[in-house]
Amino acid sequence: MGFTKALKCRECSREYPVEPIYVCEFCFGPLEAVYDYDGIKKVLTRETIAARPRTLWRYKELLPIAGEPQVGLDSGFSPLIKADNLARILGVKELYIKDDTVMHPTLSFKDRVVSVALTKAKEFGFDTVACASTGNLAHSVSALGARSGLKRFVFIPASLEQSKITASVVYEPNLIAVDGNYDDVNRLCSEIANKHRWAFVNINIRPFYAEGSKTMGFEILDQLGWQAPDHVVVPCASGSLLTKVWKSFKEAHKIGLINDLHTKVYAAQATGCSPIAAAIKSGADVIRPVKPDTIAKSLAIGNPADGYYATAVVRETGGYGEHVSDAEIIHAIKLLAATEGIFAETAGGVTLAAAKRLIEAGKIDKNGSTVICITGNGLKTQEALAGHTGEVHHIKPNLASFEDVLAKIGR
Amino acid sequence: MKKRVKLTFPQQLIKEPVIFTMAKEFSIMPNIRRAKVTETVGEMVLELEGAEADLDKGIKYLKEQGIIVELAEGDVVE
Repeated sequence: MGFTKALKCRECSREYPVEPIYVCEFCFGPLEAVYDYDGIKKVLTRETIAARPRTLWRYKELLPIAGEPQVGLDSGFSPLIKADNLARILGVKELYIKDDTVMHPTLSFKDRVVSVALTKAKEFGFDTVACASTGNLAHSVSALGARSGLKRFVFIPASLEQSKITASVVYEPNLIAVDGNYDDVNRLCSEIANKHRWAFVNINIRPFYAEGSKTMGFEILDQLGWQAPDHVVVPCASGSLLTKVWKSFKEAHKIGLINDLHTKVYAAQATGCSPIAAAIKSGADVIRPVKPDTIAKSLAIGNPADGYYATAVVRETGGYGEHVSDAEIIHAIKLLAATEGIFAETAGGVTLAAAKRLIEAGKIDKNGSTVICITGNGLKTQEALAGHTGEVHHIKPNLASFEDVLAKIGR
Repeated sequence: MKKRVKLTFPQQLIKEPVIFTMAKEFSIMPNIRRAKVTETVGEMVLELEGAEADLDKGIKYLKEQGIIVELAEGDVVE
């Protein structure tokens, strides 16, 4: 039996039964899962968690499912790496990378949200799942849906790069390429979601799907020995991940998994799509939609559904927002690879570059502990580095040629 | 049919009756569900009801006035 009590409107607080709905009928505010925390507190302790397998489901009582987990049983619990090399360069004392570049099975944090969404879709009795995506979400729905025997409809803009298409179509979903721009795909998918009774993971299943992001936060606390970090830097697309990382910290505090909570939460975006960071920096409480223009395509959401709530979390915790240029993103991807051996996608470059700026500006205290959330693997966005990587040394197949290069390298 | 939309008004349009004009001009019934106006920007979430062709024309009119018209639920392509 699960502990989800209801869905509740974030705007007007009206409550709804746990059904595949996502928007308040009265004010069109988004719905969010609420739980019986007193009940959870009795069964979920540090000890019960420690005795469970190292997957995202070890915190299942705090996820919106009624029965047992059904999808993503091998997903989650990505490494939290103490990044001493990078810390030295950034001049901070204690730095960690939450490394979702190695998430099973599709190498991004989307496997967290999709595991929860598809489990919930099965509980609701859906046989078909769907999503609209330009990359990571499509890969995850295609893969996790294949293993769990669900029919899948995946919608993409027809202009998507071939490498991203291949990484979805290999799992044999019904891949629908919409011949139109980003706005056209958005509009059409919303209309299809309203017409067909499918589990659209980030539309009618969104209140459940989004809760999967909390597992990143629970794992960070778990891996730090149930201590909250002083600072956490989170990339923002819709803003959902940031709000859920904070929700996970608050829930862990509420049920006594952590004793002290003082974390400041920071939002990272690319300058070419920074409606959330711009609102934080200007102090505005209305998010102005933008037309994205950045190499960080997995963060390119111009009209972020949770933008307002993300800015509210940043303000509540005393954090800040920062946005960075494409050149800074590329520099940060290379810096993370060269110092810690982690190849992040462009979104990871955004997060590290923003963290670097926040540290340099004194917004992040150099003596505190900082966690940087890296959400996807660099093999997915290799084209962004074309012409920006280090030199390859070409040699003839003889020793002399190699010795010439060695002398040039200066070893 | 009905459409749920979020409108973002630039400062110079906050005082203009653009919703009324759209409703009258294109036979659209707007139902305002949420609104917020600050010194620099206005935001409104509303439901529009009318014939599909009229809704398309009405939304086009709003965009032409300089209003940003988006899906109420935010972008769904992730």
